[in-house]
Amino acid sequence: MVERRPWLTAFSHLSVLVCIALLALPIYITFVASTTTMDEIIHPPLPLIPGDRLIENYLEALTRGVTQASSTPVALMMWNSLVMAVVIAVGKIAISLLSAYAIVYFRFPFRMLCFWTIFVTLMLPVEVRILPTYKVVADLGLLNSYAGLTVPLIASATATFLFRQFFLTVPDELIEAARIDGAGPWKFFKDILLPLSLTNIAALFVILFIYGWNQYLWPLLVTTEAEMTTVVIGINQMIAPGEDQTNWPVVMATTMLAMLPPVFVVVVMQRLFIKGLIETEK
Amino acid sequence: MAEVSLDGVEKTYPNGFKAIHGIDVAIADGELVVLVGPSGCGKSTLLRMVAGLESVTGGEIRIGGRVVNDLEPGERDIAMVFQNYALYPHMSVYRNMAYGLKNRGLAREDIETRVREAARILELEPLLERRPNQLSGGQRQRVAMGRAIVRNPKVFLFDEPLSNLDAKLRVHMRVEIKRLQQSLGTTSIYVTHDQIEAMTLADRLAVINEGRVEQLGTPIELYEHPATTFVAGFIGSPAMNFLEARIADDGTAVELPGGDRLPLAGNGFAGEGGRRITLGIRPEHLEDAATATPTCHLAVDLVEQLGADTLVHGHFGDDRSELTARLRGIRTLPRGETLRLAVAAEHLHLFDRENGRRLDGA
Repeated sequence: MVERRPWLTAFSHLSVLVCIALLALPIYITFVASTTTMDEIIHPPLPLIPGDRLIENYLEALTRGVTQASSTPVALMMWNSLVMAVVIAVGKIAISLLSAYAIVYFRFPFRMLCFWTIFVTLMLPVEVRILPTYKVVADLGLLNSYAGLTVPLIASATATFLFRQFFLTVPDELIEAARIDGAGPWKFFKDILLPLSLTNIAALFVILFIYGWNQYLWPLLVTTEAEMTTVVIGINQMIAPGEDQTNWPVVMATTMLAMLPPVFVVVVMQRLFIKGLIETEK
Repeated sequence: MAEVSLDGVEKTYPNGFKAIHGIDVAIADGELVVLVGPSGCGKSTLLRMVAGLESVTGGEIRIGGRVVNDLEPGERDIAMVFQNYALYPHMSVYRNMAYGLKNRGLAREDIETRVREAARILELEPLLERRPNQLSGGQRQRVAMGRAIVRNPKVFLFDEPLSNLDAKLRVHMRVEIKRLQQSLGTTSIYVTHDQIEAMTLADRLAVINEGRVEQLGTPIELYEHPATTFVAGFIGSPAMNFLEARIADDGTAVELPGGDRLPLAGNGFAGEGGRRITLGIRPEHLEDAATATPTCHLAVDLVEQLGADTLVHGHFGDDRSELTARLRGIRTLPRGETLRLAVAAEHLHLFDRENGRRLDGA
């Protein structure tokens, strides 16, 4: 529907701008705070123009962290977070693809039981099964390790379900054509199904990377050593308890840094995502 | 190159439904056999059994003398063209055609030579780098053909390959398929529900009904001597007219509803006087009657002008047995007029009224 109503156009633009401002302003203030000194932050009014301590604050955060709370450098925390997010995303996608492939394309005994078992776990989020999971991970000696951080979060009903639904829309003739072309189950998966799923994989990767990056409760339980801290937990630990003074500029710099990888992933994968949408068809 | 033979082939689904009831067909090397029948008759199932996409629950399928019942489709040395083409959407035309060859482990240069050759035959050379979604329906159809011919298989299987094309393109591709099949000399099985496609393409035609071969023969055999009313009604367009008639007491003529008599050739039915039969007459075999010839009288209900021909729909007598006649040229006939028509004796088809089988007389 195309209508020409100048005041309506102006109004919608204005509301979009207001919303953008609402979202962007806190981030901007964080950015400004991360470039100033301690004194400028605690004495009102809050500065609205970036200060001159950009490089110093970020370097301090990356290399040394907030000294009085935990001395873990943010670079290490970011690395931990990155490993966790990537392993969770890649692991979930790999496992979901394979389990969905098995459920959709193979007739094995108790197939539907398997599907429903996976499906039922959808109703049990991490928080509900956190105690038994913790017990298992602790008994296996995986506390304070990347395996302990990631493996329990990998098995995923959501992604399996999503791929299952996608595979069901792939026409049967494609499988038949592939069989006539002499492609076995593995070749069909690798040459046909995987390339067709690329768009779905890209979209899922974005969601799962952010999911992994933002994990809070689980890393909090499983990691106790400073070298294994993830950045989301690190920010919380930086805020000094009680009367101690928090080094706000460095905390803000850490916050900005913690935001960068998810933003990067969204921006990069979005292009892939759209490219996939344009170039393939079912 | 190979012959294909089906011996008592049966298909029973796990739920007990029997789709194919013992089919025996022997297809000679280089022959194109069309399986034709209404939807749900089992023709596609039969083709998919030959391809190896459906299991065989009874009988044997041989390709080039080798029993293939338990072989994977990729091991049967066949190629199949699907109704919706089934091209791999993420691969270029070149890779679509090369995929089967790559899986067989052919050298890169051999694949290149074969794909280029197939592309040349099918005039696909400018399109090799395109994706299927950048092609028109006819081009996709040709790529699907290309994917079949690069493999140089023993047998081509076509599963209603032209049904997704518009009418004009369908006629064009039909001719192309026939020409290609003749020049390659590859044994082919072609499934369609379109009887014109079946008539024009087939060396031999198998009409299938409810999982059984109703009749197998050349298109002209089926047209001239349909074995059952089913085949008679399926082959030919517009469809054959069926009238409830009886053989005259002396066995030399057929009495139509309304009292007209059409004489029979010879006296094969001498002993069958008074038998009630189904009489089949093809619309194109009804002609304007000269005054002297024995005729029947058709009351005109509706006239369809096709330009080259005129279709006249009418009825006999009081019981309104309906009939369609196809007359040459442009005719204008008012509704209600009575038309005098004649049929040559050799064009009368007599069928048993109970089981629909053809009666050829003693």
